[in-house]
Amino acid sequence: MSAVPFTAAPRPRRVSPSQRPLEVVATRSQRRARPRAAYAIATVAGVFAILLTQLLLSIVLSEGAYTITALEAQRIELDRTAQVLTERLNVYDSAQNVAANAESLGMVVSTVSPAFLLLSNGSVQGSPTPAGAGSGVLDGRGDLVGNVLLADVPLVTPTAAGGASAATSGVPPTPLSSGSLPSASSAVPSSGALPSPVTR
Amino acid sequence: MVTAERRTRRRLAAWMLVLAIVLSAFVVRLVDIQVVRAEQLSQESEARRSIPITIHGARGDIVDARDVVLADSVYRYDITVSPRFVRDYTRTDETTGDKVTRTVAESLAALAPIVGGDAAAMLVDIQSQLAVDPEDDHAYLARGVTPEAFEQVRELGIPWVYWERIPARTYPNGQIAGNLVGFLGTDGPQTGLEYRLNDCLQATDGSATYERGADGVRLPGTTVVAQDAVDGGTLHLTIDSDVQWFAQQAIGEQATAIGADWATAMVVRVSDGAIVAAADWPTVDPNDVNGTDVLNLGSRIFSSPYEPGSTMKSLTFAALLDAGLISPTEQVLVPGRYPTIPGYSITDAWAHDTLRYTAAGVLSNSSNIGTSMLSERLSAQQRHDYLAAFGIGTQSAVDFLGEESGSLQDPTTIDAHSVYTQMFGQGVTVTSAQVASAYQTLANGGVHVPLTLVTGCSHADGTVTHLPPLESQRAVSEQAANTTIEMLETVVTDGALSRQLSIPGYRVAAKTGTGEVAENGEYGSERIVSVAGLAPADDPQFVVVVTYGKPDTMKTSAAAAPTFRSIMTQVLKTFRVPPSTVPAPSIPLTW
Repeated sequence: MSAVPFTAAPRPRRVSPSQRPLEVVATRSQRRARPRAAYAIATVAGVFAILLTQLLLSIVLSEGAYTITALEAQRIELDRTAQVLTERLNVYDSAQNVAANAESLGMVVSTVSPAFLLLSNGSVQGSPTPAGAGSGVLDGRGDLVGNVLLADVPLVTPTAAGGASAATSGVPPTPLSSGSLPSASSAVPSSGALPSPVTR
Repeated sequence: MVTAERRTRRRLAAWMLVLAIVLSAFVVRLVDIQVVRAEQLSQESEARRSIPITIHGARGDIVDARDVVLADSVYRYDITVSPRFVRDYTRTDETTGDKVTRTVAESLAALAPIVGGDAAAMLVDIQSQLAVDPEDDHAYLARGVTPEAFEQVRELGIPWVYWERIPARTYPNGQIAGNLVGFLGTDGPQTGLEYRLNDCLQATDGSATYERGADGVRLPGTTVVAQDAVDGGTLHLTIDSDVQWFAQQAIGEQATAIGADWATAMVVRVSDGAIVAAADWPTVDPNDVNGTDVLNLGSRIFSSPYEPGSTMKSLTFAALLDAGLISPTEQVLVPGRYPTIPGYSITDAWAHDTLRYTAAGVLSNSSNIGTSMLSERLSAQQRHDYLAAFGIGTQSAVDFLGEESGSLQDPTTIDAHSVYTQMFGQGVTVTSAQVASAYQTLANGGVHVPLTLVTGCSHADGTVTHLPPLESQRAVSEQAANTTIEMLETVVTDGALSRQLSIPGYRVAAKTGTGEVAENGEYGSERIVSVAGLAPADDPQFVVVVTYGKPDTMKTSAAAAPTFRSIMTQVLKTFRVPPSTVPAPSIPLTW
């Protein structure tokens, strides 16, 4: 290793310090076609972004489907409630029930003479006659127009002894002097009378 | 070296061949599945997952003139059980998290009171069904329970209890117009408008499918509607349910008091022939069909013709006036009896000597003899034609289920006695509807407007069908009709029933009728009493006809008068009819 004979002269180098190696100049299109890391990253990121969006979208959609199902179930329940309430209202609304309640509150139908108060000029048309005792339709005679649906419906005011007696036997509600508000301490008459709003 | 290379190549070729065979087998299979049997297979798989269901459309409502619901479509629930799964079960309490075991007996005991059943009977039913078929999967525990009860049953959370929703019908107003509305039975509509106008009310069922997973759970969002259900149309009636109730209550009360077999009341609006009330007593509560006799399920107003008696005289006098053959003040000598054919003569309801009545007096006092004498001025054909023009002898335009036309005898074959009696309402039969229709004609200036009960059937798409007929016909001149009404007013102002018939402030025109009832070919003691009238006489708005069949204690029209007045009063009030402004004219009744 110490004395290595000079066996071969070194190959003459074509490289000279003043000369640069020749290089093929890439055309513009060649340069453009060359892959760039930025593009690759952007593409991969884009694919991932699309996949992620798709995933999120499908999650949201399926969530929506469940919401729809839940809401539909809720609608069925609400429809049922609406049906129950409408059904009950229609029964309460029946003439038998309204008449029975009206008479239990002391109102009677006057079948003697119809009379009207004309609001335009305050005149009375017809010959008004007060309804006499027992002129109620149901008064003490019971409802002859049956309705089995009303069997379990109680009267608003239970009749004391048939017909119009409830209003006369109960304590008559004292009318408030016009314009005055009921004081907080004034006891509400609990005789079964209708709570009447005070209007001014 | 050459042989080795060749061997390798051969081996490769063999592998290629095997691969090709396998691949082509796959291809064949693929084509077979995807193309050849594709349809069949996808149907099969669809059928395995998808369950067909029927979508029930709701039957249309029946509503009155103010949209008060008379017949309502609702849902009820059948509570069912799968007997083969009936056993004790464990349930986790939601609040405490404890596991609670409930026995079959406990479960049924909790369920029975909700649906109004008997727990022991339910258990016996389940066990007997299991004894017949241990794999039995379906039994009813309760049928047609209300939504409230159903929700309570669902709250119990019994795993082997199921439910089915079924369409049902309820009648919130009970007996109000029960005679008209009819009812549904288990096999569909049975009577009344429910039956007659079923083509308006009935819904068309639709169909849909949903998909089910292997565990039997319905997959959300898989419901495919093949055919939408079409709800039935809403049937609008001319009836006012308040007036109808009042009329039913009024006739029910009086009919009970006088011991009548049946009673009817009818309120008709003059201007358009709309039936505001058509009350029958006794009648049916469509919610409880078994609660009344089968004879009371229909409407006697339309289906029971009777000999009306003197209410027909108004038509006779209108006819005579129209033909110009009488005047109201014409003087008539009314004898005590009036012979017609050998063995027959016409008499009045009371014995009398020769009376000096005016024509108005004959009508007001309801003299059969006077009416017969005056009606002689019309030929048999004319009498028939006039009565027919008022609608006697032909079914009304309502065409109610089981409606009768009554009978008006052929003028060419009628006997010489009946040709007189028909003019005062014997030997001719009419329904209450026909009487009301005839008085509507008088009240409407002689123009006969067909009676209407249904104003139309409105469908969801906005179309309206079943519109009432519009053609009206003149029966008598306006002059004749108005003069007849003036004469009828004397019944209320001067007649024996003046006190029971008059309404303060209003001019009322009315005619009473006490028809004899023919039984087994002869007239007995039974009567059909009625009052037909209208108000206000100066501008007629409403016609009211009240009829009682075969009363026991009071066999005169005085029985019907108070009911007529109270119903008429209620009608005038309800529809805000202004009182009369001019007093009734005074027509002399005697001379």
